[in-house]
Amino acid sequence: MATAAVKEEPIEEVDFETRFIMLCQASPEGITDNVIQKELPQCDTKQRMTIVNRLLSMGKIDLLKSGSKLLYRLKDPDSASQVKGGDNQEKLVYQIIKDAGNKGIWIRDIRFKCNLLLTQVNKILKNLETKKLIKAVKSVAASKKKVYMLYNLEPDRSVTGGAWYSDQDFESEFVEVLNQQCFKYLEQRAAAAREAKSDPIAQRNASFTPLEDVWKYISDLGISKVQLSKEDIETILNTLIYDGKVERSLVAGQATASGDGYVKLYRSVQPLIPTTGLMRMPCGACPVFDQCYEGGAVSPTTCVYMKEWLEI
Amino acid sequence: MTRRQHDVCRFLLFQQFGEQVSVVGKYLLQKSPSPLHLISSETHLDTEQVKKILCILIQQNIVTFGQHKRGFIEYSIRTGEILNRLWFPKYIYCAKTLYGDAAELLLEDVLQRGQVQMSKVIEVVMQRFNEALETSGKQKISESFVVDKFSNLVRTHFLQRCLDPIKSESNKVVGLEVTGEEETLYRLPDLSRKRKKSHDDGPPAKRSKSERPADDEGDGIFWRVNNERFHQMFRDQAIVQAISSKIDRSAGEVLRAMLRVSEVKTAGMATVTTPISVTEIFNALPKDLMARPLLETYLSLICDDSTNFLSKVGDSGGGMYSINIYEALAQLVKAHIESVVQERFGSKCLRIFRVLLLKKHLEQKQIEDFVMISAKEAKDLLYTLFSENFITTTEISKTPDHAPSRTFYLFTVNIQHVASMVLNRCYKALYNAMVKKETEVNEHRRLLDKQERMEAIAASVEDASQRDEILNTITPSEQEQIIKVRRTIQMLDHSELQICEGIFILEMYLMYFKQRQKDKS
Repeated sequence: MATAAVKEEPIEEVDFETRFIMLCQASPEGITDNVIQKELPQCDTKQRMTIVNRLLSMGKIDLLKSGSKLLYRLKDPDSASQVKGGDNQEKLVYQIIKDAGNKGIWIRDIRFKCNLLLTQVNKILKNLETKKLIKAVKSVAASKKKVYMLYNLEPDRSVTGGAWYSDQDFESEFVEVLNQQCFKYLEQRAAAAREAKSDPIAQRNASFTPLEDVWKYISDLGISKVQLSKEDIETILNTLIYDGKVERSLVAGQATASGDGYVKLYRSVQPLIPTTGLMRMPCGACPVFDQCYEGGAVSPTTCVYMKEWLEI
Repeated sequence: MTRRQHDVCRFLLFQQFGEQVSVVGKYLLQKSPSPLHLISSETHLDTEQVKKILCILIQQNIVTFGQHKRGFIEYSIRTGEILNRLWFPKYIYCAKTLYGDAAELLLEDVLQRGQVQMSKVIEVVMQRFNEALETSGKQKISESFVVDKFSNLVRTHFLQRCLDPIKSESNKVVGLEVTGEEETLYRLPDLSRKRKKSHDDGPPAKRSKSERPADDEGDGIFWRVNNERFHQMFRDQAIVQAISSKIDRSAGEVLRAMLRVSEVKTAGMATVTTPISVTEIFNALPKDLMARPLLETYLSLICDDSTNFLSKVGDSGGGMYSINIYEALAQLVKAHIESVVQERFGSKCLRIFRVLLLKKHLEQKQIEDFVMISAKEAKDLLYTLFSENFITTTEISKTPDHAPSRTFYLFTVNIQHVASMVLNRCYKALYNAMVKKETEVNEHRRLLDKQERMEAIAASVEDASQRDEILNTITPSEQEQIIKVRRTIQMLDHSELQICEGIFILEMYLMYFKQRQKDKS
């Protein structure tokens, strides 16, 4: 009886093991003890423990904690194979980086998550990098902050900053050029409208330019090496609004594939007043204005700026 | 009243009335109201002298007086009235464009005398005008022409009666008051009284029989310039000009017509004009300017504009429109402030400033994202604006301890605050320009006097060769110097006027802002 039981056990165990893996495969987000008990009622706690231990040592499953319960999850076969040769710690770090996706993860966060020493983590990261499993990307948010992500991933916009960044430097000149070009285009449209139409309403309506047209114009100009999206152009046009040179108006239109149901129109506008009087004399922009008083070291009668200005 | 304004006031008093007046003025600016004996003892001036000075200032509407509850008379200075003197050239120009040369002379005379009787001013104007006409060989004008101009100015409220004195029991004047309704300030004296003189048994009529007959017309009534009316006029002009440059001239004309209609209907300090119908606007527009459909187009165009000057309030009478004066002034003030930011800190700062104006409260990170300037530069510009007090922060703490790490710092623009700051700067710049001009003139007084003298002599000499000889006494280097000085003075004059324009808008806005606060509470 005893021998029979001993003989039976490994067979059962192997059987349980395959069923256990199948169960895990069925639910990729992991299974709990309860599920196992329900699906494999004949498998007692002791057996379960040995199976789990075996699988864990083989690196086939992960043991995770969700709340107070334990969760078993099948390891990604390819990830397991990729980190092959590495030790457990390496696998762990790799897993953490993988979870961060294309947003990347900061070295400090990796350290917190895996509870390893800094030197160890550094070594592992270096290892993984040389194996071309992960890569380090500099974030635009903080120039000294490096984030790690899997080698084959394209970094997220929030990391690279989108079209306006090259090597985590903001390209203000590029933005300036686009800003000027957009304004020039809108100006030309407005000028054409003024010439063509006499009716003031028609004139205004003709000077309104849809976002699409501006986008096409900029794309055709070929200033940009990267393909700019409509959203990119919109942010540029927004800066023109903030400059007070352009006005935006929303008009109800056909709902398009993008699904907005309205068209964004832009037009250049004339300023309300010419330069204010204060700024037309040197006092307006004088850097020592507050120290200036009669009889002082800086005074209106001896002012050098005033003298220069009056001698033009 | 700030120190900057005081500086300007003092300078104006000194320039226009001399040193002693400015000493009294300075004292009153600091310690207003004060009784006579205090003024004379504090300024170390003779009581009689101070009395004379006060008389002049009262005559010029600069000083007012009232009775203290202990019984003595106190004098106080009106800084606004002194600052208004900056506008006198504009008042005169305004009268000239509206009613012609005779009105120009009329206003000049009234401004010069402060308070004046109608008959006196008409006499002076007649004399001066006819002299000018005679030398140019034109026909003289009649008295009724000038009287007509005068009554025009009164009817349009550009001139008003001075306040009536309140007398105490001992027949001493203790104060001034408006008798009756406000309308009486603009009531003209009965001009037909000359013919009906026999019915009039009052003392002025009796006296007039012995004196010149022209003198009895409304004597005893003193007239002065109504500053507020002029300011209203300038305010309207500024609004019209703004919309003209934003849309086009015709739109400006539409607004001008509306403002003219509303002048009569709307209360002085109303933030929004009473609604005006399209028909009324159409009738007020100059003929042949535009057809009615075009007018309606323009009205809806101005309504749709981002400036918010005009809004449609109803559909009766072909559509009722009203002008939001407060909003218009707010827009103009913003434009002026933006111009200051633009010129002083550059267009990138202007972008940051306008983002804050448009979005009200923003965190530093949000600003950096909106303006599309590299984070480092944006931070630099933002804090430049902050240190120059153009923007302020609001702290919103997550915890009661206000620890910086747990606090949101929201940047925002307080437009009233910035407006008064810019206004102060304007006053100081104005003062600087005036002081600079004064020193320039003093420095080259000898030269300028010489030139004037020579030109006067040359003008009186008939012979051409002699005239050349006289003019040649001014050497070429002197001539050069004179041209330079004249140019300098002209430039400073010009910038004074331009600054005044900015000051006007800022003052108006702050006044309306206070008015609105009062209305709300």
